[in-house]
Amino acid sequence: MHEVKMNRKKDKGFESPRAVIPQCVNLLCHVYSHTTHQVVCINNINFQRKSVIGFVELTIFPTVVNLNRIKLNSKQCRIYRVRVNDLEAPFIYNDPTLEVCHHESKQRNLNYFSSAYTAAVSAVDPDAGHGELVIKVPSELWKQGDEMNVLKVYIEFSLDQPKGGLHFVVPDVEGSMAERGAHVFSFGYQNSTRFWFPCVDSYSELCTWKLEFTVDASMVAVSCGDLVETVYTHDMRKKTFHYVLPIPTAASNISLSVGPFEILVDPYMHEVTHFCLPQLLPLLKHSMSYLHEIFEFYEEILTCRYPYSCFKTVFVDEAYVQVSSYASMSIFSTNLLHSAMIIDQTPLTRQCLAQALAQQFFGCFISRMSWADEWVLKGISGYIYGLYLKKTFGVNQYRHWIKEELDKMVEYELKMGGVLLHPTFGGGKDKDNPTPHLHFSIKHPHTLSWKYYKMFQCKAHLVMRLIENRISMEFMLQVFNKLLSLASTASSQKYQSHMWSQMLVSTHSFLKSISNVSGKDIGPLIKQWVDQSAVVKFFGSFAFNRKRNVLELEIRQDYTSSGTQKYVGPIKVTVQELDGSFNHTLQIEENSLKHDIPCHSKSRRNKKKKIPLMNGEEVDMDLSAMDADSPLLWIRIDPDMSILRKVEFEQADFMWQYQLRYERDVVAQEESILALEKFPTPASRLALTDILEQDQCFYKVRQGACFCLAKIANSMMSTWTGPPAMKSLFTRMFCCKSCPNIVKTNTFISFQSYFLQKTMPVAMAQLRDIQNLCPKDVLNFILDLIKYNDNRKNKFSDNYYRAELIDALTNSLTPAISISNEVRTVDNLNGDVRLILEEITRSLNMEKLLPSYRNTITVSCLRAIRMLQKNGHIPSDPSLFKSYAEYGHFVDVRVAALEAVVDYTRVDRSSVELQWLLNMVQNDPAHYIRHKILSMLGKNPPFTKAAESPLCNEALVDQLWKLMNSGTSHDWRLRCDAVNLYYTLFGLTRPSCLPLPELGLVLNLKEKKAVLNPTIKPEQGLDTTEMTGNTMGVHIPVMGFTSSFNTVEEDEIDMESPHDSQAFIHHHLNILERPSTPGQHPVKHPARIILLSDNLVLFFSRTRCTSTVDQAVLSLPVTPLPSSFGKESTSSSKHSGDHHHHHHHHEHKKKKKKKHKHKHKHKHESKDKERDSHAFSNSPASGRSVRSPSMSD
Amino acid sequence: MRESRSGCGKATSSPAENYQLARRRTLQVVVSSLLTECGFESAEKATVESLTEMIQSYISEVGRCAKAYCEHTARITPTLSDAVVTLNEMGFNVDTLPGYAKRSQRMVITAPPVTNAPVIPKALIAGQKRTHPSHIPSHFPEFPDPHTYIKTPTFREPVSDYQVVREKAASQRRDVERALTRFMAKTGETQSLFKDDVTAFPLIAERPSSIPYLSALLPSELELQTLEETDSSEQDDQTDSENTPDDPGADKENSVLLAGGVVPSVKVSEENMIDNPYLRPVKKPKVRRKK
Repeated sequence: MHEVKMNRKKDKGFESPRAVIPQCVNLLCHVYSHTTHQVVCINNINFQRKSVIGFVELTIFPTVVNLNRIKLNSKQCRIYRVRVNDLEAPFIYNDPTLEVCHHESKQRNLNYFSSAYTAAVSAVDPDAGHGELVIKVPSELWKQGDEMNVLKVYIEFSLDQPKGGLHFVVPDVEGSMAERGAHVFSFGYQNSTRFWFPCVDSYSELCTWKLEFTVDASMVAVSCGDLVETVYTHDMRKKTFHYVLPIPTAASNISLSVGPFEILVDPYMHEVTHFCLPQLLPLLKHSMSYLHEIFEFYEEILTCRYPYSCFKTVFVDEAYVQVSSYASMSIFSTNLLHSAMIIDQTPLTRQCLAQALAQQFFGCFISRMSWADEWVLKGISGYIYGLYLKKTFGVNQYRHWIKEELDKMVEYELKMGGVLLHPTFGGGKDKDNPTPHLHFSIKHPHTLSWKYYKMFQCKAHLVMRLIENRISMEFMLQVFNKLLSLASTASSQKYQSHMWSQMLVSTHSFLKSISNVSGKDIGPLIKQWVDQSAVVKFFGSFAFNRKRNVLELEIRQDYTSSGTQKYVGPIKVTVQELDGSFNHTLQIEENSLKHDIPCHSKSRRNKKKKIPLMNGEEVDMDLSAMDADSPLLWIRIDPDMSILRKVEFEQADFMWQYQLRYERDVVAQEESILALEKFPTPASRLALTDILEQDQCFYKVRQGACFCLAKIANSMMSTWTGPPAMKSLFTRMFCCKSCPNIVKTNTFISFQSYFLQKTMPVAMAQLRDIQNLCPKDVLNFILDLIKYNDNRKNKFSDNYYRAELIDALTNSLTPAISISNEVRTVDNLNGDVRLILEEITRSLNMEKLLPSYRNTITVSCLRAIRMLQKNGHIPSDPSLFKSYAEYGHFVDVRVAALEAVVDYTRVDRSSVELQWLLNMVQNDPAHYIRHKILSMLGKNPPFTKAAESPLCNEALVDQLWKLMNSGTSHDWRLRCDAVNLYYTLFGLTRPSCLPLPELGLVLNLKEKKAVLNPTIKPEQGLDTTEMTGNTMGVHIPVMGFTSSFNTVEEDEIDMESPHDSQAFIHHHLNILERPSTPGQHPVKHPARIILLSDNLVLFFSRTRCTSTVDQAVLSLPVTPLPSSFGKESTSSSKHSGDHHHHHHHHEHKKKKKKKHKHKHKHKHESKDKERDSHAFSNSPASGRSVRSPSMSD
Repeated sequence: MRESRSGCGKATSSPAENYQLARRRTLQVVVSSLLTECGFESAEKATVESLTEMIQSYISEVGRCAKAYCEHTARITPTLSDAVVTLNEMGFNVDTLPGYAKRSQRMVITAPPVTNAPVIPKALIAGQKRTHPSHIPSHFPEFPDPHTYIKTPTFREPVSDYQVVREKAASQRRDVERALTRFMAKTGETQSLFKDDVTAFPLIAERPSSIPYLSALLPSELELQTLEETDSSEQDDQTDSENTPDDPGADKENSVLLAGGVVPSVKVSEENMIDNPYLRPVKKPKVRRKK
């Protein structure tokens, strides 16, 4: 209903990827010049003041005659002078994203914000040739002739305490900056280079680079390209690092990091250099000892050398993201470094390295044509990263990962609506906004929710995998190789050859290569998954027809609920029968739900024969559990995950059990584990226990089985026999033979067992007895594990294991029996809880003396303490967490503590803590923490739009609005996080806690009544209404407003009911709004009187409207009010009313009248567009409001 | 055994102490009578005490010396002549002694009360005493206990029960940890989970660090120690590589980095050839800078 509006005029920047026009020409349509070379020189980096001074020089090649204006991107830089070919040039610096909606506006609905924000971002979109910095080319240069001369644009700039783009880490200790480990590095989400130097901040604008950085002699400056030389300054106190990057590269892929780094030349590849902060060299050596294998892997599969002549990895503190890739260098979080003793972090770090390296090929070297082509790069880099995972961590891990990613993405799409990989704007005739279900625009990366972007990347690589399934991996790799070799040929050419666009990938060029290489048409696949959002939801069930020996399979789809689409095409079904496993390809068609699959084997029980599996293996099975009449063991729908889908399949419990035991595919095993949760029977228990014991089984499946077993045990509580689930199993696997209550001393030689040993206690702690308490046996068992844990002879650290034991204690907690809200004291502490608390305090205290790797134990202890508080065992108090959340703790600890504070805020509805959190969002030095707080608040919101809460008040609305409107302009990601939070708390429309539109007085001449709006309190300007009422000299009785008016999402309107003022307003009155800011203008606005044709008189004083009217009103000029305007307002508000009415109507006839609804929707949209054109005339993006901190000339 | 003796001696008077006290009292009587003999009517207690001390020392010395003389002549029981020699040695004219003893005004002193002579504690017998070999006559003293001149095996029966060992190790570690954390909590700032009783479950107050990642990422010394113990072979390899000769051409800073930066020891010769721009020496500025 409340679509995010797009301004169609701004859409021209997006080329239609299917266009047959060559891309370079296409680009030139909108961009009037090209940068061919850029010099960036930073002369001074002051760590004390956190400032940077430097200049850039862009060599610009005009593509039109008489180029008179040059637009560049630049944010937060102070620009001192601009010269074009040595002539001083005037310039205007205007950044509309600084403040999205201007301060005088009282608008508070998210629809309005989103459209304004999109417009603001579009207004400076470099892909469309826009920019914050507009330079006027001196007339001497453009008047002189027709021949297109190269322009040299020289810009001096400085940055003072940058809030985004560059991050300074300056620890507060004694010593010089180098001794303190102070460092600075560039960061950002998507194209954010404009934050630290003026450039064309687009991924499609390639040029060559010369980079110079003068830093303190004790520091190292690491940047993109080849380090040509390092030269001391004359005073010998500083040195200048000269970098040259001859490969055409987008400004967005340029980065810098400066610090007193320790340098490690990779022992296997001397052109690769690693940098880390002081004292961490031993960790760096170990963590990087593996990188060369990743290099070899990618170079081999892509049959292409690494494109740059060198590669640098830099590990920095307070990183924005764990991994960020730039041309020939990657910046990582220092927290990825680990020693040889750490097990759990090792695969994670290697995965991060592999991701970074994959992005070097696709993302840095090969860049994208436009934002709409992003999915190709993310898809390819994610896909080849997946191939690396498969090779290094095995097929099981790979398939498990694919399933995990698919489930994650499907869950997101079903919840939030679809993720669209390749949005086309303005291309489609009737579709203005391809994703109306979202509360943000996907037109720009900078308006995107972080979570959405993550899912976007996820979907991109899954789609690449689907393409691979279609055309084979060989062809796939050939396509990549082709893209790379074209790009590397192009990269060595001069700009004039017009070859550089070969280094940019677009959806079109990618698909063309695919069809050239493979000769296959993947059009339908692309249409389904790339051009269209949403996933497929299947429901499957079957019956076995004994007479015909046929399996009657029914596959239904849900394509009406949000985030789903209809699938038509082939689907693979695998049926495991007694005689073997058979694949069937069925066609999902429009109207066919039922599919008959002939069975190969008759049911036979007596013949003892091995049963062949899919992989050729033949196994003995105990067939006593199965149905005597059916030869079916189990059935799988789409086993290869070649559709982006969710399958809910119904089969009997014994079938799931067979599937778990005998199907060798980990995905099948995990699916059956999930399904078995619903069948708490001894047979399920046995199947799960058998899997747990099987060494050959993939460890993650066994971990899953642990949790499933715990759930089953809880459901079977009354009939459960024997010791608590998993206890004897654990004893057998991990405890001493002679004394079964004591765990063996740790060795962790087998990682599979290690992971199982970690997981089992956590799962066991979820067991509950009849009283819904954790069984005493289990608790004592866990306490014993902690007590007897002995790591002295182990060459691996046991920190993760100990942390999980604490997690197990946390899991064992159940709510305290509360006696009338008494205060929690030490004395009335339950005995078991006392033991748990003792372990937790001791562990937490020991961490202070002997900190564990990444402080995993502190993290677990904090979670445990919060759980104790939440369950009412100890007094609920956020102060401990607040102290751990302060700057100066390890980031994982801070996040855990913040999570507890967020949780406290929700449970206790504490406005103090909410304020404290929001304060941290604005002021914390670490960007990651800011982002994390907002996303945690979004995940665990203090209240939602559905429920009432004392926290929800006008001040909070204003505060959050301010945060997203202007408080987060330095960080795209943070701004989108704030938008997300606002959406979670208040929804798309005007927050319900805001006061009503302040209709002072409502006069109804027909009934001869006047109503003093009862919701308006005297201090809100009642005096004016009284005054106007008096001047009118009409004495009119009062008509009441009901509180239903408060809820803006009130859709059902009963027009007949006299007390429903909303309906009344929509149909009989006209509503006007005068945007005003009473806070800033102490003088109250005079009430306005409008006489309209239907003899109604209205008074308005500082009127604010409900959401439906908001947009209509937005477009109104402030003063004066022409009479014609009143009519327009009438029509639009009437329309809103109509819409309500219709909607109401549809509630009842939804199913029958779907088509009608669509029609109506379009009609509605076109109205919206009309209004939008007004809206934008007032929006900041229109460029009228020029904010220029540095206007020269 | 020693512990128990000293322990109970302090609380009540032991037989040995009784014995000594009785002798001492007799000596005091002796001193007092001598003083009376000399014509004193009264004496301060401290004086009597000093004189008693002196007389006791004198008698002890006579005894000690006599014993020494007797042992000097390879006997074990002093004889009269030993005593005479001693007295002479100490400057006492023995001939005056009979006269003094028979003086008229001497006072008769009662014998000290009979108390049991203290039992000499048995020497700790830690092993089998050796019997005399054939060439040593049997009246010679016995060999002393072997622990006095050979060795004393002091092990106890080792606790071989695995369970007990593990239990003991676990509880020991727990006790140490608990004591340590309690101590730290008592001596430093704490945070508390309860408002009513801040001493229950004290938490050592967290302290923000300026560089938090160092302690979180670097292995603790304890862990490093474990690592060294568990695989010392790898460690050896690393020290080898660190001893590689420095590149004489590179300047000092770079050579340090170079040596630390390269892991495989096999590539020693190659190492010096590494051409990495970050290892190159920093150039001196040109005298004239181009504009």
